[in-house]
Amino acid sequence: MTRPLRLDAPVVENRDEGGPHRRLRLRVADWPGFEPGQFVMLSPGARSEAERSDPLLPRPMAVYRAEPCDGGALVEILYKVTGRGTTLLAEARAGERVRMVGPLGRPFPAPPPERPVLLVGGGTGIASLFELAARAADAAPVRVLLGARTAADLMGRGDFEALDLEVGLATEDGSAGRRGLVTELLEEALDRQGAASVYACGPTGMMRRAAELAAAQGGSCCHVSLENTMACGFGVCLGCAVPRRPGGFALVCCDGPVFAAEAVAWAGLP
Amino acid sequence: MGGASVSAPGRVDTRVEMGGVTLRNPVLTASGTFGYGAEFAPFFDLRRIGGLVAKSLTLEPRSGNPPARIAETPSGMLNAIGLENVGVDAFVAEKLPALPEGVPVIASVFETEVDRYAEVCKRLTGVPRVSGLELNASCPHVKSGGIEFGQNARLLATLVRAARRASSLPLWVKLSPNVTDVAEMARVCEGEGADAVSLINTLQALDVDLATRRPVLHNVLGGLSGPAIRPVALRMVWQAARAVAIPICGIGGIVTGEDAVKFLLCGARAVQVGTANYLNPLAALEVAQGIERWAGEHGFPRLADLVGRLEASREGSS
Repeated sequence: MTRPLRLDAPVVENRDEGGPHRRLRLRVADWPGFEPGQFVMLSPGARSEAERSDPLLPRPMAVYRAEPCDGGALVEILYKVTGRGTTLLAEARAGERVRMVGPLGRPFPAPPPERPVLLVGGGTGIASLFELAARAADAAPVRVLLGARTAADLMGRGDFEALDLEVGLATEDGSAGRRGLVTELLEEALDRQGAASVYACGPTGMMRRAAELAAAQGGSCCHVSLENTMACGFGVCLGCAVPRRPGGFALVCCDGPVFAAEAVAWAGLP
Repeated sequence: MGGASVSAPGRVDTRVEMGGVTLRNPVLTASGTFGYGAEFAPFFDLRRIGGLVAKSLTLEPRSGNPPARIAETPSGMLNAIGLENVGVDAFVAEKLPALPEGVPVIASVFETEVDRYAEVCKRLTGVPRVSGLELNASCPHVKSGGIEFGQNARLLATLVRAARRASSLPLWVKLSPNVTDVAEMARVCEGEGADAVSLINTLQALDVDLATRRPVLHNVLGGLSGPAIRPVALRMVWQAARAVAIPICGIGGIVTGEDAVKFLLCGARAVQVGTANYLNPLAALEVAQGIERWAGEHGFPRLADLVGRLEASREGSS
């Protein structure tokens, strides 16, 4: 596993991607690399010299992708402005520094070559899947299924389409792709092609349904990436515990965020 | 706030003798915010801080409370973890050996009954890597134990006496802020042979999720920590310091070296960094460096000369 860093990373770009979506690019010296599904903690209040204590906690954000740059990397985060933390983060201008801790967490396991890969992303969960889509394409046939409320909520859609993979879309209002839920696309895909490696990230209900569908299709496996409030991201606050099967708790930050679907106690998720 | 690259401007003697434990500098990490220590080894050399207070240990492992366990509040956070821990025996067998030699380890002890507290203390005594004990008599978010001892002077006296008998190790007691008179509690500890008191633990608190009209935490009640509680902690440290002669370890919302210096001025000989470890895994190291820099810049070659040097009033400042 890569060794995490704590650093104050200069903002290179914090671009408006339309609607509530932003694309943050940080210059990170000595970036150790990352695996698909890993995340960083970003402190929206700790910017340059003007550190503030409110909001206090850093926010876990999926690493969207990273590209080499001057001995380090440009680390990209795709996020949605939803609350006080992300509103402050959206105010960070080029040249300001944002405190970052990462990369953190257990990544998605690499898909085995013998089965096709189905990636299922819902809403902001889409951001956790981009690097997996980009890398898995070399190993196995990959189909990406993205869902959101409206076409404008399909974050990163253009990036996925540029990967030259099969991309299926579903929106609740029908403004892009199928009108309905992304899990309906998954059900059809599993019916059509049989056993698959399913990777899901999105709302709990979506992931739970994806897990059920994969379990019903013999020979499939399903991994999900969970979200939770966390104060640290590296296993010490114990705030992100979720019940696991068969019993006890798992920490989303360091036992996950990626879990085998059968280990998730869905009914007990916050 | 200071960066990790700051070096001391002048020579400052940072060593402190803290209730039978010698520390290279006055900065420890607060129990429950630093895991068992090894979690921070990727970020800095643990030998550069004064010491660490490990997560509270019980006789048997505990799995803690169901979610939600934490919530953000203005300049602070609530937690009700439920004292999840690996148990004292696994701590000694598995967690301690993972720590580098040369960082003093204070083991925090929690239980639900006096006899069980004493048994945990006994099992930690004689373990080479344990430099001292800190009795957690103040956890505000488990169903029994902890806070009851910290809120009742007679119970607290019984607990400290039992721990004192059970162990020859330096004995610190972590006090609750959820009391009427913290000075009285400090005096009780001193009277029963404690070597130091640490304060404050979290403030008992509650917040509400309006969308669901439910408490934000599964446990309903939690402990408030972070910068929001710092002035309360400074007040209580100041009150306790005037009441007892044993050293005081100041805790509560410390994020920077300047925050820590305030605790020293109010009478704390050492401090513990807590919630800040979550936000910034280098926080304890940066606080230690920040104290040293402040002392050097302000003409205090010995940190010991800062302890309790709060001027009597604003007018009296020199």
